[in-house]
Amino acid sequence: MKRYRYPSIPESEVTPPELFESRRRVLRGGLLLGAAAVAPGLLWPRNVTAWQGELQRQLDAGLPTVDLAGGEAPTSFRDITTYNNFYELGTGKRDPEIYAHQIVTDPWSLTIDGEVDKAGTFALEDILKHQDLEERIYRLRCVEAWSKVVPWTGFPLAELLKRHEPTSRARYVVFESIHDPDRLRGQRRSVLDWPYREVLRIDEAMHPLTLMAVGLYGESLPNQSGAPIRLVVPWKYGFKSIKSVVRITLVEERPLSSWEERNPEEYGFYANVNPEVDHPRWSQARERRIGESGRRETLMFNGYAEEVAHLYSDLDLQRHY
Amino acid sequence: MDQRTAINLFRLLVLVASSAPAFWLGWEWFFGDLGAVPGEAVVHFTGKTGLILLLATIAISPAFRFTGWVGFMAARRQIGLWAFFWLVAHMLAWMGLDQYWDWPWIRREMVELPYIRYGVAALLLLLPLAVTSFHRVRKAMGWTAWHWLHRLIYVAAALGVTHLWILTRADYLLPTLFAVVLAALVLFRIVEAAIHRQ
Repeated sequence: MKRYRYPSIPESEVTPPELFESRRRVLRGGLLLGAAAVAPGLLWPRNVTAWQGELQRQLDAGLPTVDLAGGEAPTSFRDITTYNNFYELGTGKRDPEIYAHQIVTDPWSLTIDGEVDKAGTFALEDILKHQDLEERIYRLRCVEAWSKVVPWTGFPLAELLKRHEPTSRARYVVFESIHDPDRLRGQRRSVLDWPYREVLRIDEAMHPLTLMAVGLYGESLPNQSGAPIRLVVPWKYGFKSIKSVVRITLVEERPLSSWEERNPEEYGFYANVNPEVDHPRWSQARERRIGESGRRETLMFNGYAEEVAHLYSDLDLQRHY
Repeated sequence: MDQRTAINLFRLLVLVASSAPAFWLGWEWFFGDLGAVPGEAVVHFTGKTGLILLLATIAISPAFRFTGWVGFMAARRQIGLWAFFWLVAHMLAWMGLDQYWDWPWIRREMVELPYIRYGVAALLLLLPLAVTSFHRVRKAMGWTAWHWLHRLIYVAAALGVTHLWILTRADYLLPTLFAVVLAALVLFRIVEAAIHRQ
């Protein structure tokens, strides 16, 4: 006769307490977030496609184009939008395109707070109304040694920050991405500590090359490219150019950015493109330009040394990578 | 179904399962469905397929112990050689589609990058196993020597998993899966050896 065996749950099936707790946190956070999202809508009902309307109005008017990629042809729209790192939607290169619909961009508001005189939460259309958009063609270099040439539409971050009047204590600018684990499949796994966070020095943030992008190839940003609004810092590795930004906070003390927190040896705070400082696991001397065969030499500061090298003249770039 | 037919069918199944990924890859390549960087997709796909087959080769012996069916053992060399084929293809794809046959760089990356070194070491360890897989060589070597030599597959698999582990950026799901499977297989062999000794 077979002995009766008590059914037991294997250790692997038991929800770890951190995860259990985090679920509660997420639920609580979700409720709060939901309430925060609904409340303004109840108070000030507005057209949900408001920001697209404002963006389209400017795009239709025709925008000036500034080529800052040395006359190189932009990478194809298809390549730009089907080979992405956007871990909120999964860690595969095609995941962001496949799961792009999981990002809800309507309505979108941006909180600007911390060391600014004019803090608050602003509907994206209200932010766009005050900005003159332009098209800028930039090189984009990923820390994984691939690169693209991208025609962004956007406005300098400096203009936005100035309008909100940073105080004298504002030394760093912290950016935060969308946090929506109920919808974003990638945020249900703790590959990174969500929400994604990036940080710039105030002088980097105020640099005229630093862009807030809302468009790609003359249209609104596809979700996988960081819709509806994202940062673009062309002389730094791509992970600094945070996508789908919901909050910009000016601070005096520098918090860690997401990748720096994950692995400080590999992803420094500055993350300036530098062919002479290798990633601990691979070389940064060369890059693969998407859509091209062969490899190219990586340029110092991704080819923007003339514009930005002076920001780091007193830094040892081998140490402050 | 008699024993012989069953074994032949199983060997056919191994043939189909191990070569089908190549047809799939060729199809996707031909129709441009491998994404913006098809070379990278080929490198990743060949590597994963090779590693899976390597673990499958190691799993054959436990499968035989559990079921007692000799068909597994009859197909082991075949699966092992397919694993070797895929891993050689992986290295060639890396050299050609990732490094574009730039020999100075290939040499440099082999010397400087730990994950490339582990990958190359794994392949070098598998080479004598492939060479000694013929019946005649095996006979000439004698069973004990052959058996000891072929335990190198565990070292090669461990190097392969380490190779994947090191080059992973943040998402360790897949390398963890491979590591757990390999650990389970090694554990099985250790326990089995201990039982036999008693």
